[in-house]
Amino acid sequence: MTRGPDAGDRATVYLASTGTALPGEPVDNTALGRLLGVSEEWIDIFVGTRTRHFGWDPVTGEVRGSLADLCAEAGARAMDAAGLGPADIEFVVLATATPDTLLPTTACEVADRLGLDHLPVYQIQAGCSGAVQALDLGRTLVLGGRRAGLVLGGDVTHRFLAPRRDTARMPTEELVNHVLFGDGAGAAVLTDEPEGERIAVRSVLNSWTGRGRPPGQLLDWYGTTDRDSQRPMLAEDYKAIEEHVPALSVEILWDLLGGLGWGLDDIDFLLPPQLSERMTARIVERLPAGPAREVSCVAETGNTGNALPFLQVERLLPQFAAGNRALALCVESSRWIRAGFALEKV
Amino acid sequence: MGLDSLDVFLRTVRDDLGLDIAVPEGADTALGDLPGWDSLNLLRLVALLEESGHRVPVHRLLEACSLREVHTLVKEYG
Repeated sequence: MTRGPDAGDRATVYLASTGTALPGEPVDNTALGRLLGVSEEWIDIFVGTRTRHFGWDPVTGEVRGSLADLCAEAGARAMDAAGLGPADIEFVVLATATPDTLLPTTACEVADRLGLDHLPVYQIQAGCSGAVQALDLGRTLVLGGRRAGLVLGGDVTHRFLAPRRDTARMPTEELVNHVLFGDGAGAAVLTDEPEGERIAVRSVLNSWTGRGRPPGQLLDWYGTTDRDSQRPMLAEDYKAIEEHVPALSVEILWDLLGGLGWGLDDIDFLLPPQLSERMTARIVERLPAGPAREVSCVAETGNTGNALPFLQVERLLPQFAAGNRALALCVESSRWIRAGFALEKV
Repeated sequence: MGLDSLDVFLRTVRDDLGLDIAVPEGADTALGDLPGWDSLNLLRLVALLEESGHRVPVHRLLEACSLREVHTLVKEYG
């Protein structure tokens, strides 16, 4: 890419395109209920999420795909949509809580599959705020002189969820994860000039606020010396999340608006945190009323962790007209990270 | 495992769900007053009932105020 005479504001980074990937066919609540040995009715009532995707067979548990598969698919779509080839991409940032291996990083594997070489490749270990962290780092790299780069986020559940028949005896903090999460990946191409979708990234909020607070979400892993450990691999303090995430979302909204000098009437679209259909609805109810239209995906995709903001932005794009503004809110409850970003179509 | 007897039902819920329930006095405790009772424990109860061959609609379970009323539904739906 060469810098033209109508180059964008040098202090602005642009989102040129997105790409997403969800594995296999949607798994509905009947199938998820079968996996857990219950009818779908409880999931319908208390979670509200209608479908999710798994890269593993919900009947046999057989793993059919990796995080690298999903991220490479999403990344390729984003690059195609931006009209960029491997030679145009100058960095990769990938965020995940569930890498395929600790080393090599999934980010390097994805770079290889996309035909990228001789460029910085970063992997961020993060939960629900990882996409925003990737966007934050990607934006910094572009502001530092890179012309275009790929940011990705994704998660897979096969190490943590599986067909279970002991639902009744599973700790509630573990069980809740089985009805919330799904697999998915998303990507975006960032550029230093308005390209493709011509969306200016006006602001990124990425702030750890967990000092002294117990974790809301635990995701552990076992190694050679402790593989027989009985400590929980997965635990969500869903009561703390229900209590704190709505309030944190309000804080994030005002932080982003205040930083930009925008008001509620200035935003056309709102991308709220995507925990579950019911929980997202509760969060939105607590947000101050405004004209912004909600863009959510969780009812169809389930909670895909690091992929969620990309899935939401992809749903935003067909509706996003020149001059429109959007605000995305994100809370990572593992240790309480407040995150979000503001977009404006130029 | 038959859950026709209220005492067996209460012991099963106590032991399998790990809830602190007095048997038989806990039968009439309001569900909301059972230590740790919440919607996820309701899901575990649904799973426990289905394991035992009892499929009670969740919307009916939500009408129950105590484990005695849950047990009445278990018998009603067979």
